[in-house]
Order: sequence, then C-alpha cells, then structure tokens
Amino acid sequence: MRIAVCAPQVPFERGGTEILAETLASRLRDRGHEVEEVKVPFKWYPEARALSEALIWRMLDLEEAQNRPIDLVIATKFPSYAIRHPNKVVWLVHQFRQAYELDGPEFGQFGQAPFERATVRALHRTDRMVLGEARRLFAISNNVADRLERSTGLGAEVLPPPPKQLPFRSSEDRGEFFLSVGRLDRAKRVDMLLEAAALDESLRVVVAGEGPDRERLERLSGKHGLNGRVDFTGRVSDDELVDLYARSRAVFYAPFDEDFGFVPYEAFLSEKPVVTTRDAGGPLEVVVDRQNGLVCEPAPAAIAEALSWLATNLDEARAYGAAGKRTAERITWDAVVDRLLGS
Amino acid sequence: MKVAYYSPFPPERSGIADYSALLFPALQQRLDVSAVRRGARRPPRGTDVSLYHVGNNPDAHTWIVDALRRRPGVVVLHDFVLHHLVAGMTLGRGDADDYLDAMHRDAGTVGRLLAHGVVDKLLPPIWEERAQDFPLASVVLDRADALICHSRYVEGLARQYGYDGPISVLPMPAWPPVDVSGTRRLVPEGDAPVLTCVGYLNAAKRVPQLLEAFGRLRETIPDVRLVLAGSAAADVRLDSQTLSEGVLRLDHLEEDELWRLLADSDVCVSLRWPTMGETSGMAIRALTVGTPLVVSDVGWFSELPDAVAVKVPVDELEVETLVATLERLVSDAALRARMSAAAADYARQEHDLDRVADLYVVALEEGAGGTSVQDAVLHDVATAAGEVGFDMNDPVLGDVADRAREVGLGN
Repeated sequence: MRIAVCAPQVPFERGGTEILAETLASRLRDRGHEVEEVKVPFKWYPEARALSEALIWRMLDLEEAQNRPIDLVIATKFPSYAIRHPNKVVWLVHQFRQAYELDGPEFGQFGQAPFERATVRALHRTDRMVLGEARRLFAISNNVADRLERSTGLGAEVLPPPPKQLPFRSSEDRGEFFLSVGRLDRAKRVDMLLEAAALDESLRVVVAGEGPDRERLERLSGKHGLNGRVDFTGRVSDDELVDLYARSRAVFYAPFDEDFGFVPYEAFLSEKPVVTTRDAGGPLEVVVDRQNGLVCEPAPAAIAEALSWLATNLDEARAYGAAGKRTAERITWDAVVDRLLGS
Repeated sequence: MKVAYYSPFPPERSGIADYSALLFPALQQRLDVSAVRRGARRPPRGTDVSLYHVGNNPDAHTWIVDALRRRPGVVVLHDFVLHHLVAGMTLGRGDADDYLDAMHRDAGTVGRLLAHGVVDKLLPPIWEERAQDFPLASVVLDRADALICHSRYVEGLARQYGYDGPISVLPMPAWPPVDVSGTRRLVPEGDAPVLTCVGYLNAAKRVPQLLEAFGRLRETIPDVRLVLAGSAAADVRLDSQTLSEGVLRLDHLEEDELWRLLADSDVCVSLRWPTMGETSGMAIRALTVGTPLVVSDVGWFSELPDAVAVKVPVDELEVETLVATLERLVSDAALRARMSAAAADYARQEHDLDRVADLYVVALEEGAGGTSVQDAVLHDVATAAGEVGFDMNDPVLGDVADRAREVGLGN
C-alpha cells in the first residue's frame, strides 16, 4: 500500500507526536508499505489562525501522487486530521486542546470575548465534521477517547502507542534524584515538583527538557533557594535520556489532564516507579497507585510526601518499577500496525 | 461573555414567559447573563451579545424587536410567522407605511397591493386568515447575527427566506415534573379512558375536528372522556349545545392542576394547523409525565419521534384518521404503556434543562461571533491569494470555498 502519515510540525520543536509519526512510518515501511510522512508547519495563534491551518490541510490533495493513488492516510492530531481522503484513518493524539480541556483562564488561549468564544465553537464544529468523516477512529488513550466523545459524540477505539524505541535499562548505580522529563510548559506542572522540593530538603530533582516555561521555573527554583538541589539539563540526547532514567530514584510526571504521555512507559521500561497526580489524565491509565507507582493529590505537600516515601522504602520502589516494566512491555508496534491497517 | 437577555417573564402570561422563567436561571449558572427590564432602551453596560426571544404576540414582543432593531444579536425564533407581531408594530402604532414596506419586502408588489387592501379595509386582516402565507419574518431575520429555533422546520423556512447566518436548532427545555400527589384530581376516578386537550382552545388547535372525532369515537367506546382545558377563542364554540356527552370543560388551571390533569390522562391531543412554526409547551409537559401524544403531522410536531407521538396528517381524512388513532390508543393499554415509557425517556434525554442550557451556551458563543471567525480565516486566504495574483472572485478559488465549507467555515 501507499500510505501517507500526516502530522503537523511546530517548527524547531520535537516532541511525542513527531516521534510517534516517524516511528509509525518506519514500522509501516518495515511491513513493506510505501510510506510518506506529510508534515505541515503549524502555528495556532493569533486569534483564529488554528482554523486557517485546518483549512490548509483540507486544501492538500493526497488522493494520489504522480497519477498513482495513495491508498490510505493516517492522521494524528489537529489539524492534520482535516485532510480530505476517502480512506482516512485517524489515530488521534489530541484535538486542539486550547479549545477543549485547556480552555480556561489558567492554560487557555481564548478569552471571553465573543470572537474568541466563537472561534472555540468553530473549532469544535470543524472537529465534528472532519473527524466524523474518518473511516476509522483510534485514540491514543482512554482520556483522549473520552474527551472526543464528550466534545463531538464520536467514539474511538483506544490504541496506545509504544514509547520511543531506546535501550532503556535500570542502573545499579542509582542516583539520589527524582527525574522530570518533558517539554517545559505550564500544563506539565513541573512547578509542583519544585514546590515539593522546597518543602523537603532531602529531595534532589533533575528536570530534563526545554520549553517556554523554563525561565519561570528557574526563577521559581531560585526563589525557593533550590540551587544545588535542582538541575535543569535542557534538551538531552537519547543516550543521556536513557542514562537519566536508569540512574533516577523515580520519575515524576503530573501534567494536567494529559492525553497520554510516553514518560510513564519510558520510566517503567527503566524499571522506575512513577509519581503522578489524580488529575493527570492519561498517565492514570497506566500508573496504578501502590502497584507501579504512587498517585497523589495535585499539591506540593502530597508530592513531597510521595517522593520521600519512595526514597525511604527502596524495596517497594524497586518492586513498583519491576511491575511497571511488565506493563510497558505489553505495548508493541506490531499490534499497533495491525490495528491501524485493520488486520 | 456578558449576555443581555430580552424576553417576557412571569407575571406576564405566555408560553415564552414560562420558557424564560425555566431557562434563565439555568443560563445564569453558565454565563454572565442579565435580564433586560421590559422597555429598556439599552442593554446593560459591557454587554457582548444580546439574546432576543421573539414570538408572534405584539403586546409581549414589540419592545424586544425594537431593541433588536437598535442592536443586532442572537434571536430565538419561537414562531416563524410574525405577521401579527409586525401588524401590531406598524398598523397598531398607526404607521401604515411601515406595514406596506414590510409586506413589500417579503412579498414584492403583490404584497404591497394586498397590504393596501388591508389598510383601506377592502380586505380582511391577513394576520387573521392567511398569516402563514406572509410570515413577515424579515423584520427579525435582517437583524439577527444568529438564530436559535426549535425545529428543522423553522430552520428550513428561515433558509428559504434567504437567511444565511448561523442557525442552531435546540430542543425546548422541559419543566421538571411537579409533585401532584396532593393536588385534587380533576377527572372522575375509574377505568374510563381520558383524552385531554389543554391550552388556548382555538380553530388552529383543530378543536372542531377533535370534537367531531370524539363524537364518533363514543359510538364504539361509550365510556371514553375528553377534557378540554383552557380559555376558548372566539373562533370555536364550546358550550352545552356543541359539546357532546363525555366532554369535561375546564377553564383556567393552576400549574399543579395542569400537571395532575396531564398525569391522569391516557392520551394528550395536541393538534395544530396552520402552524406558525411554534413548539408546544403543553406537548413537552405531557411527554415529561409520560402521557402519549396525538399530534398533527406538521412543523415541529412532525419531528417528534414516532415512539412518543402518533401523527395525524392534516388532509381531507383528518377526522377519520383521528378517530382510528384514538380508538387504537384507547383500546391498546400495552401500546400506551410503551409510548408512556418512551415519552418520559425522550423528555428526560432530549429536553433536559441542563442539556438545553449547555446547548444554548454553544449557540450563543457561536452566534455572538456571527461570521467574524469565518471572515478572519477567509481574510488569511484572501491575503495569500492576493499575494500570488488572485482575487477572491477568481473562479480558481471556488475550490477553497468548497474546502472551507467542509471544515465548517461557511454555509
């Protein structure tokens, strides 16, 4: 088959969706398919720009290339799923979150002015139309599927993606630190981890990742006098990432109502327990309290307590990490490709 | 978003006042919304969008349409046929020219000539006989940034009228059922089946046809009863000479009595023709208490699910069909039980107040922006097209318009 894998690309950014699309394309090629990754730069502001971007995707003609049909398109996230194709499958990473669960004063892009409210509603309408026409709809997590159903009435099959294929391992040479991995934006709530560290002087933290919230987080760290106990590594290489996971005590991952999150899987493959919060969304589908990690209230004191407990109960922490590994190993690319291709 | 809410409210007595008494508090839980005092010339300071409830009664709605004329907004169209309202706003104020203009705008030269005939008293008032042929809806459609209506039927009429703004079709909110256990029973105890017709009893409710059908039904089911509750219009005679045996005539009912009557009825009859595009609060109440409906197969009534309402076509066989329908319902308790369960389910799911209020928020947010979002996107397209040598009227850009419609931008 000739297959186009569609994903938006925020210029100069690289995150979970980009990795997911690249890996999917690679795995489809491994099965002997002819695969093209279709990427269009994505800018979602100001105002109604996100809708213009949906229209740009809609204008693309991926029904054929050089007079040969493209048999299947697999779209991943807004606005790539606006693509027009008779055999469109959507593997939904997420909708345009600023118009849904992040719509509000804390994380949102849109305010209360009539134009902004109308833009949000227009985005919902667009989703109903372009997702509703897909031949099959998959979502990367229950959380994403539930949101889709609530917002559009459309049902999706849940198909979690495997994490990045790296040689994750656990090191006997354990560090004393708790690790946070991911893009630094407000919704990831790394600030809660820093506030927790401020409450317990025994906690050491490594924050791996880059993003628009970094400056604020560094100021917060300075304000609490955490210099020396908190390291911001910025973006790290794959080798460095594997090493950080391997040497960490445990991994903190508590974004607000996250779609899915590869981080818990990567932590589990490194045999590390995960600390998350009750409102984290997707991570709660894999992190089970006191089986492979700890689920606590989204408050610095509760997080500090959880991290401290893992630091002092090493046998339990080790057992949670091992249990997590068994869970993560069940998610494979072979199964994903089979379901996306309908076999 | 700050919303100014224009509507009649109790103690004014109208279906729309009752509707707003129900809906407004639910909207207050979701939006910064304030009710505009009757006759106010301006909305509250800082209003982002005005919401106008418009019906056909000039006494209740003239001030609202006056406000709409000063400031466009989102219009809830409770009736599509607004001839009576427009007549009140024009001729009722001694302004024949405005009436002529309204008729001309909707029906061209013929409309103007007919209007002259009415003004000069050479023709009977159109609003009394043929309002549905001259709805005069432009008076609100021309000023509506967006429409909210309660049926696909009215949506279709608005589109036929050339309205090209956003239209949201929302269910009418249902009243929560009232506890009637302490309310006196209005119909006699016993097994005799009870049919009920409640509301303003006029020819448009097909009362003469219902009475004829009921008389014939009594020939086969002698113990069946019919309750006619509500005030009677001049165009129907409801006196001892016209009412056959088995008819119970009730005038005004208090709210709890109304609920009790509906709950005690085996079938609620809610016929209509001509329709002005209206919904029926009484039919919704009947569904809420799980009373099967018999309705005319017109307008909003046609859109009720078959599981909850039997629909009678308005044609030359109307009375015969009505007799057969009532006979079947009265004699088939299992059918009534199925319809009753379906009616209560349907009212709970479709017409649930919270659901309707949520949908109102969506419609208001969509409508408040009018076409501004679409315009912003098309501006992006126009800018790009202009930079590569096209203008927006170039036929090559037709493809862009098609694709824009496919993603919900444009009608």
